Amino acid sequence: MSDTSNELISWNLNGEVVQNESGMTIMEAAKAHGIEIPCFCYHPGLSIAGNCRICMVESNRSPKPIISCSERIAEGLEIQTDSEKAVDARDSVMEFQLINHPLDCPVCDKAGECVLQDHSYEHGPDRSRFVEDKNIRHTKELGPTIDIWGNRCIVCTRCVRFCDEISGTSELCVVERGDRSVVDVFPGIPIDNAMAGNTVDICPVGALISTDFKYEARVWNMDRTTSVCGGCSRGCNVEVEALDGFVKRLMPRENLDVNDWWMCDHGRYGWRHLYADSRQVTAQTTEGSVLPAEASKALQQTLESSSSTGFLVDPFMTCEELHLVKQLADSMTGSRVAGWLPADGTEESFPGGFTISAAKYPNRKGVEEIFGADVFGSAASTLLNDIASGSVDTVVAFVGGHGFDGAGAEWNAALSSAKNRVVFTTQQGAWSEGAHLVLPATAPLEKEGVWINEDNRAQRVRSCRSLTDQNFPSELVILQEVQAHMELRSRSLSAAGVFRELSESSSAFEGHSHSSLGDHGTPLSQKPAAVGSEGGES
Amino acid sequence: MSFRKIFTQHIHEEKCHSLSFYQKNGGYEQARKSLHDWQPDDLIETVKAANLRGRGGAGFPTGVKWGFVPKNTDKPKYLAVNADESEPGTFKDRLIMEKNPHLLLEGIIICCKAVGIHHAYIYIRGEFVFAANRLQNAIDRAYSEGILGENCLGSDFTLDVTLHRGAGAYICGEETGMLSSLEGDRGQPKLKPPFPAVEGLFGCPTVVNNVETLANLPYILEIGAEAYGKIGPEKSPGPKLFCVSGHVEKPGVFELPMGISLRTLIDEHAGGVWKGRKLKAVIPGGSSAHVLRADECDVDMDIESLAAAGTMLGSAGVIVMDETTCMVDALLNIMRFYHHESCGQCTPCREGTGWLEKIAHRIAIGEGRMEDMDLVTEVCDRMVGKTICALADAAAFPAESIVNKFREDFVAAIENGGSPAWIKRHPASTGGAATHV
Repeated sequence: MSDTSNELISWNLNGEVVQNESGMTIMEAAKAHGIEIPCFCYHPGLSIAGNCRICMVESNRSPKPIISCSERIAEGLEIQTDSEKAVDARDSVMEFQLINHPLDCPVCDKAGECVLQDHSYEHGPDRSRFVEDKNIRHTKELGPTIDIWGNRCIVCTRCVRFCDEISGTSELCVVERGDRSVVDVFPGIPIDNAMAGNTVDICPVGALISTDFKYEARVWNMDRTTSVCGGCSRGCNVEVEALDGFVKRLMPRENLDVNDWWMCDHGRYGWRHLYADSRQVTAQTTEGSVLPAEASKALQQTLESSSSTGFLVDPFMTCEELHLVKQLADSMTGSRVAGWLPADGTEESFPGGFTISAAKYPNRKGVEEIFGADVFGSAASTLLNDIASGSVDTVVAFVGGHGFDGAGAEWNAALSSAKNRVVFTTQQGAWSEGAHLVLPATAPLEKEGVWINEDNRAQRVRSCRSLTDQNFPSELVILQEVQAHMELRSRSLSAAGVFRELSESSSAFEGHSHSSLGDHGTPLSQKPAAVGSEGGES
Repeated sequence: MSFRKIFTQHIHEEKCHSLSFYQKNGGYEQARKSLHDWQPDDLIETVKAANLRGRGGAGFPTGVKWGFVPKNTDKPKYLAVNADESEPGTFKDRLIMEKNPHLLLEGIIICCKAVGIHHAYIYIRGEFVFAANRLQNAIDRAYSEGILGENCLGSDFTLDVTLHRGAGAYICGEETGMLSSLEGDRGQPKLKPPFPAVEGLFGCPTVVNNVETLANLPYILEIGAEAYGKIGPEKSPGPKLFCVSGHVEKPGVFELPMGISLRTLIDEHAGGVWKGRKLKAVIPGGSSAHVLRADECDVDMDIESLAAAGTMLGSAGVIVMDETTCMVDALLNIMRFYHHESCGQCTPCREGTGWLEKIAHRIAIGEGRMEDMDLVTEVCDRMVGKTICALADAAAFPAESIVNKFREDFVAAIENGGSPAWIKRHPASTGGAATHV
């Protein structure tokens, strides 16, 4: 990231005069004109190292090729990215990078998303002039989640700079010199910080390997879903990568307003609950199991036989699900809504500006926006009292999230004491045992809809379509079906359709839509420009 | 004007390194004058006028370098004295520090006065234990005599000098590598710009000068820029220390005017090639310079003349090789050094130096191929000018010139199954099947 001011600089890129803001590096400015200069050691979130040399270009100001990641544009500068000199410089670096590289792509987890592989296709030689023995460097464990395959390391020092500058933990260093150089940890001090997984993402080769993902999948076979992490109220933008319905890993997705390029390890490895043995995968009544197609009917019958209903929502639900609950509750006289919150964890912040929130749930703001600010406070104590006194005879509880503790001890006890209880739950537990009706809930990574993070930023979450998710209709579907049975709704909508209803009925959501939120979300207060609203009468 | 030795005049006398000896011979007079009488700008102008060129290897004009340091800055300014003399074949700074440490300190005072520096660091090569002790004693003595510290030599100028011992890495002799090491980091060169004069040690403006460069300063003030400029050639004048090593009768350090002919240096001062043998090759400026064949040795030892001859003065470490030398072994020796010393930061140097050593080794043990000679040249081409510092160039220059100027040695090693030394050690070897040693 460089300091740019608004002053425009005219310079010459491959024979054309172009303009960019002063202070930009040649690489950034060229990219703005559609010319991608290859890089290994450069990362926009880290300081400039300038050591890989692949980004060398020809300049009119220097007899030698210069590196475009560190040199800045200047008035009258003439840069050639494809001249003979520039191409030769690039080819040289590629040849050097590859001579000691093991070229073990067939067994390397990075293959398919490897920067070295990509650049090798584009700039590398098709055969090697190197007939010597290759160097051997260490393969070892660097920490509980990270191994190094030293032979693959190209010593770009991205990981070392990450630990110095972003996580501030400085566990990694380069040991040895020359072509014996390799990344290592200090003796007895493993890399074990809450952001360590990012070093694997930014490794341009397969040197740093996540032990969690090692040998799990070839990256090109996986399905990718653009979504948001539900691990805390930060709402880091992620890609969920799944193979045949099984999530294999989470990767951070760049969003400079939320998480930059990073995510924490709690979120990254926090998806195992999806496949836990205790996962609730079928609907059940006290009499036996319910077919997926009959689940909504069973719920409708329970609701209709109830004299007063309490809804207990959780901060993992999407705004769309919450909106449907609100519509249901509003239609039923004597019903009330409250929410439960998981216990707070600890907040962690890092020198690079990244923060892990203490609130370990993604959508508290959304719940409060739809049901009012006291939904977790006075409304909750009222509902607890009403269940105890018996004035609420039926509770519909949403027990989602990634935990195994249900809605917490107090609520779990209260639920068990309710006369009738319907539980949407991700995990089986005491709170679902003996319930009138138990329905499988979607876990955070399986939801379709919108969450609002702690900064009031509305972000799109998408389902990774895990196996569980495919086997049973989601809350979004069931709740709409119930509304249809109760003649509150004529047709079922997608999450986007439900969100449109929400935006039409709530001033806070007014003007927003799934498409206007885009892949990076929008602050709820920042209304998007209306599209086509000024059109003439038809 | 006859040539007067300034570095080595008294080195054979007893106690030549002591403060009393130094002061008896006019020592610290120029430092005193610079502190009391000279304006900083006049000092810089004088050094510019004298055309003093850096003695560390690059030959950059010293006064010009000082001029790059910003005048109005809130930050402290530093002098980092490069005493990490690690270029193979070079041992001149060591002589100054062991025999004439106060000359260096006087030069430091003059430089610091000129640039407005109040703290100088001397980064000395770790192996120079004796020199480091001598220098530390000299610094301590200078402090106790009021030459260093507060009110240097009775002036209102404050100057602290800190001696820092390196750990023996060649790369820490590169100016920014030295600064990294001094800051406590891994000894790796830094990206330029920013240049040290603007952002150097601890992020502050820093002058980096070689020991011999600084040791010239008292003499320049003493005789004046004009007289100094008349010693040796106009563009790179001054007295110079030449280190001669290798196959000569009298190896050593010789103080002579810049521009002395290489033949005179070897034949008259160093006693000629040893054992009555013929000259085969000379590396004139430390192992990083292009090698000269015997028929190319009619050249003057100054920056311009050697550049015109396709090599460089560098650190003036003259390495002489006689007719029995196998240049394949010489290449292997030099490449082993650069491979070992490459810091590993930049790709071309990290990988290239190792590759060159492996090729040289293969040829030396009889597994060479004819195409390897061109391969060496091409690898060198791909290394030169593509890295942060000049270590890649320093490895490529000798490699490329040795292979191309002594092709017959390489052809012989490839055809005969190895270098003569290898064949002698492995008489049964026919090449190819030999195991690595």
